[in-house]
Amino acid sequence: MKLSTKGRYGLRCMIDLTIHSDEEKVSLCNIAQRQGISENYLEQVFATLRKTGLVKSIKGAQGGYVLAKEPSKITVGTILRALEGELVIIDAQDERNDSRAQAMKDCIKAHVWDKINQNINKLVDSITLKDLADDCRKRNSADTLMYHI
Amino acid sequence: MQVSKRSQYALEAVLYLALHMHTEHENIKAIAEKLGTSWKYLEQIFIVLKRNGIVDSIRGAQGGYRLAKKPEEITAGEIIRALEGPLAPVPCVIEGPGRKLCERYEGCVTRGLWEKIMHEINRTADLVSISDMAASYRKTEYEESGNFLI
Repeated sequence: MKLSTKGRYGLRCMIDLTIHSDEEKVSLCNIAQRQGISENYLEQVFATLRKTGLVKSIKGAQGGYVLAKEPSKITVGTILRALEGELVIIDAQDERNDSRAQAMKDCIKAHVWDKINQNINKLVDSITLKDLADDCRKRNSADTLMYHI
Repeated sequence: MQVSKRSQYALEAVLYLALHMHTEHENIKAIAEKLGTSWKYLEQIFIVLKRNGIVDSIRGAQGGYRLAKKPEEITAGEIIRALEGPLAPVPCVIEGPGRKLCERYEGCVTRGLWEKIMHEINRTADLVSISDMAASYRKTEYEESGNFLI
């Protein structure tokens, strides 16, 4: 019941990219430094994000990445599923030989696993990248304020 | 982001006990055979369920297991947590032992989200009791046997 580092780091980088999207493009090197993640690893993460159409790469010596869509149109669910695969709480189970054992399995699936899967996905689809970036900005400005006092 | 197969068998085993409450206790070998797994594997699961106050064991040649509480008092969440520990997507949101904080804990922008996911998983799993599942199972069985008679 764990999210992999790919999902966790990937989401952090997407928030970073959103916050710095006033810049024309953001280089991986800068994200890597700010987030304390190796650039090599980030390249893999961004290759996946690019393939799923969440970011666009800009080539060249001054190359970098930009969000492919408005942050309010990208949900956390889309990002996590791109990096983690389907968000399911348990793998599909083997078919049972016994019909009553199969019926119990189906009953548990309908009442427990399917409901958890639905609710996790509903939750992450209701939160956008903009929501998280706004939280982050709010927090940063609160920190600066405290610092000045 | 997944729970183990042990949770699946634990839910099946507890549901089985709830469906067979008229018999005093159930022999573990009979349950294992029914569920299509080995009794040694199932025994490990029952030990954990017993430690968590979900089932009781009866010793002796005719020994076995029974529910330690009423089926309406046992939730799916309680059973899954007994086997898996806290259902947390990342270790920094665990409340209590097992909590692990990363160096970016302070001011982390994603931790609030992981907390929400954890609460949603637990809330959903705690909404369904073993008696709900037993009732639904019996209803299906009844409908199927009804169809059979026609």
